[in-house]
Amino acid sequence: MKRPISVIIWIVVALVGAGALGGIAFHRGEPLNATWFVVAAGCCYLVAYRSYSAFIAARLLTLDDSRATPSERHDDGRDFVPTNKWILFGHHFAAIAGPGPLVGPTLAAQFGYLPGTLWLIAGAVFAGCVQDFIILFCSIRRDGKTLGEIAREEVSQRGGFIAQLAVLAIMVILLGVVALVIVNALKSSPWATFTLAATIPIALLLGLYLRFLRPGRVLEASFIGVALVLFVVVAGQWVADSPSWARVFTLSGVTLAFALIAYGFAASALPVWLLLAPRDYLSAFIKAGAIFSLAAGILLVRPQVLMPPLTRFIDGSGPVFAGKIFPFCFITIACGAISGFHSLISSGTTPKMILRESHARFIGYGAMLMESFVGVMAMIAACAMTPGVYFAINSPASIVGATSDAAAATISSWGYPLQAQTMTELARSVGEQTLLNRAGGAPSLAVGMAQIFSSTIGGPRLLSIWYHFAIMFEALFILTVLDAGTRVGRFMVQELGGRVWKPFARTGWWPGILISSALIVGAWGYFLYQGVVDPLGGINSLWPLFGISNQLLAAVALVVATTILLKMNRLRWIWLTLIPMAWLVIITMTASYQKIFDPNPRLGFLSYARALAAQIAAGKIPAAKIADTQRVIFNQRLDAAVTAVLAAMIIVLIVEALMQWYRILSSDPKSVLHETAYVATRWTEDFSGASYAGAHAEPEASAMEG
Amino acid sequence: MRSLRTEAQGHIKQLRALATALWMKRSASKLWLGIREWCGDSAYERYVQAQRTNPEKSCLLTPAEFYVERVNRRYSRPNRCC
Repeated sequence: MKRPISVIIWIVVALVGAGALGGIAFHRGEPLNATWFVVAAGCCYLVAYRSYSAFIAARLLTLDDSRATPSERHDDGRDFVPTNKWILFGHHFAAIAGPGPLVGPTLAAQFGYLPGTLWLIAGAVFAGCVQDFIILFCSIRRDGKTLGEIAREEVSQRGGFIAQLAVLAIMVILLGVVALVIVNALKSSPWATFTLAATIPIALLLGLYLRFLRPGRVLEASFIGVALVLFVVVAGQWVADSPSWARVFTLSGVTLAFALIAYGFAASALPVWLLLAPRDYLSAFIKAGAIFSLAAGILLVRPQVLMPPLTRFIDGSGPVFAGKIFPFCFITIACGAISGFHSLISSGTTPKMILRESHARFIGYGAMLMESFVGVMAMIAACAMTPGVYFAINSPASIVGATSDAAAATISSWGYPLQAQTMTELARSVGEQTLLNRAGGAPSLAVGMAQIFSSTIGGPRLLSIWYHFAIMFEALFILTVLDAGTRVGRFMVQELGGRVWKPFARTGWWPGILISSALIVGAWGYFLYQGVVDPLGGINSLWPLFGISNQLLAAVALVVATTILLKMNRLRWIWLTLIPMAWLVIITMTASYQKIFDPNPRLGFLSYARALAAQIAAGKIPAAKIADTQRVIFNQRLDAAVTAVLAAMIIVLIVEALMQWYRILSSDPKSVLHETAYVATRWTEDFSGASYAGAHAEPEASAMEG
Repeated sequence: MRSLRTEAQGHIKQLRALATALWMKRSASKLWLGIREWCGDSAYERYVQAQRTNPEKSCLLTPAEFYVERVNRRYSRPNRCC
């Protein structure tokens, strides 16, 4: 009797999801309520988790709970720690959820709400979750090895090297572009700049507390830190209201860029316990709080989605970034649907802590579903404001003009009515001088979040506090990505340098630390600087570059997954990874080609460089600006070269993989699976690792006979 | 007879209230343990426990040494995503 009821319930969930999805897709005219999005996404995720992930777990991977996981075999209380599946889910989600799923969908909203929402849901279900789940499984079966190591063993030596290079490339571009998002959110904003600057001494204070006063007491230190951070959000208003202090914290884009570069260098070179770790603790708590508050706010307020399903900018003429809906919607959404970076987490800490193989489904597939839901919420927040306001915030001055009047006239001429007064009043109500030309997604998302939060608590009176809370939340965890990424990048540079000269690889050797930190900070700092001085706003060039590199890394992960499945004799189900991989290769190759060669100067790097060179030759550029323009020309050519290198890397990897696949299919004895040998678990079926004491006492007490 | 029934019903009510209170206490305690483990508060206790059960014992680190070693290891590989 139980089964038919369960079947009926799941059929109802599927029908409700399909109905809501149909409602979103075919609704025209009046604004749509956000509840449709929440219901459509929620039902699709539930059905996908119940059916598709279960199918992958049972038929494709045949997860085996009788097999001891790395955390059981190597339990050392340090890296390998058996962890309850709910807690590990929290760890894994905190690690994979970064600014990408918030910023990507906000930028992609320029195409309208429909394409982005559909890709967020379908991309996560059929590609992103599958990638995270399978790579996590592969790493569990290989003692927690990293993606690069797995690629080296299962694909080829060259494949592993390409994966490592791809990781370094994505790291540099990622850090440059997320830093640009912060700069665009903080420039000329004394309130936001003060708030973020004040988090640095707070983090230092917590670092000293955790190191000397109460070692390792993260919870109490984080409570103190969160209280102080909330205080400085409010105190920022006093700074903004004081003419002398406001002047100190009103910084230009270039000054902020250099401040971030200096911060990145300090965070990489200073002891990790002093600045990086305490900032991460703060960020994790505020991130969790803000995401849950946003979900609750959307459910309570149920805002109307004012953006149309499709805008006129699907033809590639969008002001936020240039490029048609295909492939740039997919490239721009990136992390909310599929992120190559997740494969590094799935083959990093998580496989070393997982208790049972079957938990990989909940943690790998489930956490990515939740990340996709964060993306859907960001899409709702961005689309809940009027389209005119959205375009005014996100478009560069070179397209819409630098004043409210000019922006209102341009944007209204596109068919999205906007009054100059609306932007002036909105800026005043959130406590800013201006909200114009703040490309990058963070400010528009903050306005959307603030409107949702203030509808729940405080009303218009608290709009400015909520806006700056949202900016602080976004900037704080972008800074965490920045400093943690710089440090990891530093280790990669030291490892590479160590191949040439051994002492350089010593992580405690100060000259090595300083040189490698300078190299990695210099690399992403260069991208940041070129983004800040780019007349087209920076995001137009850099976000697609980041999207391409991110999706390229996802393609690398899926190539590795497909190779392993072939070695496991799963030829029949190979399409599960092959189709998403082929799709990613198609979109990254198309986007790369267009970004390099497209004749439209707003889209193609080379055509933009040519157009600027022609302007210099024709004498249209004033003599004082020729040097700057030549620098922009060089940057465009550099971006074209970086894109070409990324595309070449994926082509080489695919050729390597095809050769390996041919060997596997022709039963070459050299093509063997490199799994660790089967060891039976000693844990009982009901062992859940619920507490640290139980995790160690239980296996001995209840060891399975034989 | 009626008074006996009323008394029994009263006891059942008390027992139910006690069971609910116990369940709530246990749930709160589980949640607290979960939060401590999620944020890393209980990492040192775990480490000490693992050292005790590990046959190849090495020198036990102090809480401060363990904390520094733990964060150094944690932030030397990708652990925060885009």
